[in-house]
Amino acid sequence: MNAPLLTVKNLRAGYGEMQVLYDLSLDVHPAEIVALVGSNGAGKTTLLRALSHLLPWQGDVRFDGHSLQSLSPNRLFALGMVQVPEGRQLFDRMSVEENLLLGTLAGTARDALRRNLERCYGLFPILAKRRKQLAGNMSGGEQQMCAVARALMSGPRLVMIDEMSLGLAPVAVDALLDTLRLVRTQGVTVLLVEQDVHSALHVADRAYVMESGRIVREGPASELADDPEVQRAYLGL
Amino acid sequence: MLLAQVLLNGLLLGGLYALMALGLALVWGVLNIVNLSHGAFIMLGAYATYFLFTQAHLDPFLALPFAALALFVLGYAVQRGILNLVIRGPMFNTLLITFGLEVVITFLAQLFFSADFRTINPVYAGTNFDLGGLTVPQVQLMAFAIAIGLTLGLWAFLLHSRPGRSIRAVSQNLLAAQLYGIEPRRIYAVTFGLGTALAGVAGGLYGTVSQINPYIGTALTAKSFVIAIIGGLDNPLGVIVGGLFLGVAESLTALYIGPTYTDVASFGILVLVLIVKPTGLLGRTA
Repeated sequence: MNAPLLTVKNLRAGYGEMQVLYDLSLDVHPAEIVALVGSNGAGKTTLLRALSHLLPWQGDVRFDGHSLQSLSPNRLFALGMVQVPEGRQLFDRMSVEENLLLGTLAGTARDALRRNLERCYGLFPILAKRRKQLAGNMSGGEQQMCAVARALMSGPRLVMIDEMSLGLAPVAVDALLDTLRLVRTQGVTVLLVEQDVHSALHVADRAYVMESGRIVREGPASELADDPEVQRAYLGL
Repeated sequence: MLLAQVLLNGLLLGGLYALMALGLALVWGVLNIVNLSHGAFIMLGAYATYFLFTQAHLDPFLALPFAALALFVLGYAVQRGILNLVIRGPMFNTLLITFGLEVVITFLAQLFFSADFRTINPVYAGTNFDLGGLTVPQVQLMAFAIAIGLTLGLWAFLLHSRPGRSIRAVSQNLLAAQLYGIEPRRIYAVTFGLGTALAGVAGGLYGTVSQINPYIGTALTAKSFVIAIIGGLDNPLGVIVGGLFLGVAESLTALYIGPTYTDVASFGILVLVLIVKPTGLLGRTA
């Protein structure tokens, strides 16, 4: 297997006095879909916030060989590591197209912008119909598509998606998962952070199970889906 | 005819009011700071234009870009050095610090410029022309045209340029803006600099149509505040409407009730708007 695209080693982070993540380690390899699953409060969102420098943290984290400790959020974005935050966080009072344009790097040439827009509209045809509509006025599923499309606009190498399925209709979740499978074939690596363990394990190659700020299990997604303990704890079987 | 003339005067004044309020509304909307020193920056812009006119013998309208540039640099530095300390802090802290700035700037202006009244009087200051029986003062008309032009220009900048879009992005969703390569600290400083640059131009124009002294700032901050409340913070066009509305209301008050009552009218309107439609006449306020 190739060298990992993202390596997290012994990551510790928290809010003030309260430590949330304890020596957490994981790897994501190029063009993999990796699921990070766990119940509410396990620290999944905290991990993503730390990786985007929205929280102070200690540990050794590398993206494509660069140490994250010395990289600004700006630089990370430019290197191709993007995040779709929990709750979508669209620019609600801007059109879909403006949201997508804000997903690009500053200084992107006009024809490259056009190409990226067309590619995203190809992935999500509904967004092409809604391009002039205010993002905040769309349905939850459409908003999530817009958020994922915004993340793909810069042609990233790693997309980290937080709770993509939260509050969405199953059909919308399926459509989004299909799109992730498709962009993976185009070389985009995906780290999927999910409470919806069933759909996450269904689409992922490998998975990590997180509990109370620690990784408690890892392995191929299909094996974890068959693991009796995982089934009992997360799949309600 | 008198009424038409008064309405015209009100509209011309209102355009200038709109430009004064524009910087305040922009900073308020993006940084969530009600900049109580906004009027002091308008005053500095007026003095910058005055000195460029009297010392460098530059036409006051040609001096405006230099006044704007100077005020941009000053505003950028003030945001980076001082206001950054209270950004996203409680409203009270930002009010206190900008009030303090206002006091300091006014005092320094008094120290360096003296308390004398000054006017910017280019040779064409008294020129009027006739428009179907109405008298149109040339300087007022030029000030109006520049004010409206700049407001529309800012609108286009915010809507259609990448930096303008980044400014709106920071005001709408800070987290997402940070995740997508926008540096809020830079946006805040640029936005505040833009706000003070607009104040600088407004001050220069104010100096061509009115007398200036170091103390004009406070009242102009208050008027800008009224206009921002009326027009909302979302949209520079709302500020134009608010400015014209206030200009006309003041002119009509001066005609029918008395010139000393114009402030009663403007702040009466503020109270009415806050009671009847606290979101502003057009769209959202903070």
